[in-house]
Amino acid sequence: MEFFLLQGVLNGVMLGLFYALVALGLSLIFGIMGIVNFAHGEMYMLGGYVAYYLFGIFGLNYFASIIAALILVGGLGALLEKIIFRPLTTRPQVALTSLIAGLGLAWVFQMLAVICFGELDKKVPSAFKGIISAAGIVISKERLAAIILGSFLILMLNLFLRRTKAGSAIRAVAQDKEAAALQGVNVNRISALSFSIGCGLAASTGVLMAPIFIINPFVGSDVILKAFLVVILGGLGSIPGAMLGGLLMGFIESFGCLFFNVPTVNVLSFILILITLIVRPQGLLGRD
Amino acid sequence: MIKRDIVVPTCYTGLLILLFAIPLITQEPYTLHILCLIGINIIFACSINAILNVGELNLGQAAFMGIGAYSSTLLVMRLHLSFWFALPIAMIITAIVSLPMGYVTLRFKGAYFLLFTFLFAELVRVLLSNFWIGLFGGIPGLTNIPRPFIHIRSLLQVNFSSKAHFYYLILILTLFTIFVMQRIDRSRIGMVFKAISQSDALAESIGISSMKVKLLGCAMGCFFAGMAGSLYAHFVGVITPPDFSLHAVLAPIAYVVVGGIGSVLGPVIGTVFLMMLSHFFLRQFGLYELLIYGVIIVFIIRFMPEGLISLPRRLRIKLGK
Repeated sequence: MEFFLLQGVLNGVMLGLFYALVALGLSLIFGIMGIVNFAHGEMYMLGGYVAYYLFGIFGLNYFASIIAALILVGGLGALLEKIIFRPLTTRPQVALTSLIAGLGLAWVFQMLAVICFGELDKKVPSAFKGIISAAGIVISKERLAAIILGSFLILMLNLFLRRTKAGSAIRAVAQDKEAAALQGVNVNRISALSFSIGCGLAASTGVLMAPIFIINPFVGSDVILKAFLVVILGGLGSIPGAMLGGLLMGFIESFGCLFFNVPTVNVLSFILILITLIVRPQGLLGRD
Repeated sequence: MIKRDIVVPTCYTGLLILLFAIPLITQEPYTLHILCLIGINIIFACSINAILNVGELNLGQAAFMGIGAYSSTLLVMRLHLSFWFALPIAMIITAIVSLPMGYVTLRFKGAYFLLFTFLFAELVRVLLSNFWIGLFGGIPGLTNIPRPFIHIRSLLQVNFSSKAHFYYLILILTLFTIFVMQRIDRSRIGMVFKAISQSDALAESIGISSMKVKLLGCAMGCFFAGMAGSLYAHFVGVITPPDFSLHAVLAPIAYVVVGGIGSVLGPVIGTVFLMMLSHFFLRQFGLYELLIYGVIIVFIIRFMPEGLISLPRRLRIKLGK
C-alpha cells in the first residue's frame, strides 16, 4: 500500500507539472490580454517537434534543445500576438473572436505539421536512459528528469515574475492595464512578452514530455483540453492557481487510476471541478 | 434607378425558387448530401447565435445537439415512436435539460461561461461514451437509425430514404428556423436580448430579470440545437459521442463569427460560405484543404471583425456613397 502511495505521488507530480506548465502559459496570456489562446496546444506540439529534430535527429544537447524550443516558439508567439491577437483586443467581442482566430491558427499549425513532419507518431529518444529504484518505488530517469526540469522552469518563471523589472510590469498589467500604462509601462510590449513566454513555456514542456509521450500533429488538441480544465479549476489568469490546479489534476488522475478505470476518473474529476466552481466560481485561487 | 423595396423581395423569391428547384436540377448524391448537411448546420449555427444574442458563447452547444440526437433516436428505436413525434419531443427534452445547466452556468460571464459550458460538454461526451452502454451504445454509438417516412393509407406515401426528399424536409425546417429567429429578433423579447447582451446591469435597472431572459435565450437556442441533432441522427443514420464533442461545436462557431455575430442572417451566410468553400472548392487541394480553410478564417476575423454580413456596407463606404 505504501509502495502504491509513493508511486502515485511521483506519477501525480509528473503529470501535475506537465499540466501546470501548459496551463501557466494559457493563464498568463489570459491575465494580460483577456483572451483564451486556442492554439496553445499547438505550441506544445511544435516544442515536441523541436525536440524530435534538434535532439533526436541532429543530436543537439538536450538542455540546448529546451532553450531552442523556448526561443523559437516564443518568437513565434510574439509574432502571432503582434499580427493577429493584439488587433483583436481593441474590438468588441474579443473573447469570441480571439477564440475563433486561435482555432483557425490551431488548424493551420496542425496541417503545416502534417505537411512538413508527416502525420505518423514520432518517438523522441530519451535523453536519460535507465531507471532508479529506491525504497520499493521505481521511476525511470527520464520521468525524474522531467520532474526536475519542469520544477526548474516553474521556479525560473516565478523568479522572473517576482524579481525582475519586466516581471513586475507583467504583474502590474495583469492587475490594471490603465494604471500600469500611466506608470510608464509599455503595455503592448508587455503583452507581446507574456504571449511569447506562454508559448515558449508550452514548447519547452513539449521538449520535456516528448520522450515520455509520443508526438504527432494532433497532440495539441488533447493538451489544450487538459489545460482548459486546469485553468478553470485554478482560476483564470492566476499563476499560482494554474500551478495548484495542475498539480491537483495530476494527483486526481494518478491516484484515481490506481482505484478506478479511466472513464470513471474523468467523470470524477469533472464532477470535482464542477463542485469546486459552484462553491468558488472564480476558481481555487482566482481573484473576485 | 430601381427601388430597393422591389429588388430585395424579388431576390429572396428567386433564391427560394432556386432552393426548391435544386433537386430537379441535380440528382447527384454528393451535392444533395452536402446541401442537407449545410441546412442542419445552419439550424445549429442559428441555435448558437440565439445564445450569443444574450451575450454568451456556449461551448457545450454540441452536447445539446447530441442530447437531441440521442433522445430522438432512442424514442424512435426503443419506444417505436414515429419520427414526427420524436422530433418535437427531442427538441423539448433538449430545452428542458438546458434549464438546470443554464441555471448553474449563466451566473458566469464571458470566458468563465465559455469554459464552464465546455466542462459540461466534456462531461456529456464521457458519460455517453462510457456509461449505460446498453442504452447509448458506448463509443461505437447507435447505428441503423431509421429514416422518417409518411404513410397515410394509400393516399400519400413518402419515404425519406432518398436524399432529394430529405433535402426538402431539411430545407423547410431550416427556413422555419430562420423565420422564427427573424420574428424573435424583431419582437420585444429580441430587444430585451440585445439590451442584456450590451449591459445586463443596465437592463436590470429598468426592471428586466436578466437571469430569466438569459435562461429563455439559452433554452431557445438549445431547442433548435435539439432539432439539428435529431435531423442529423436520422439523416446520417449513425451517431457516436465524438460527433457531439467540443470539436463538433468549433466549426459552427466559426460559421457564426465569420458570418457576423448577432444578426439573423450572419450565421446563415457564414455557414453557407464556409461549408461550400470546404466541400466544393477546397476538396481538390487534399492535405492543404484545412490549411487554406484555417488561413481564410483567421484572415476574415483579423480584417473583417463584423463578419461577412458587413461586406456590402464596407464596400459602400469604400466606394464613397
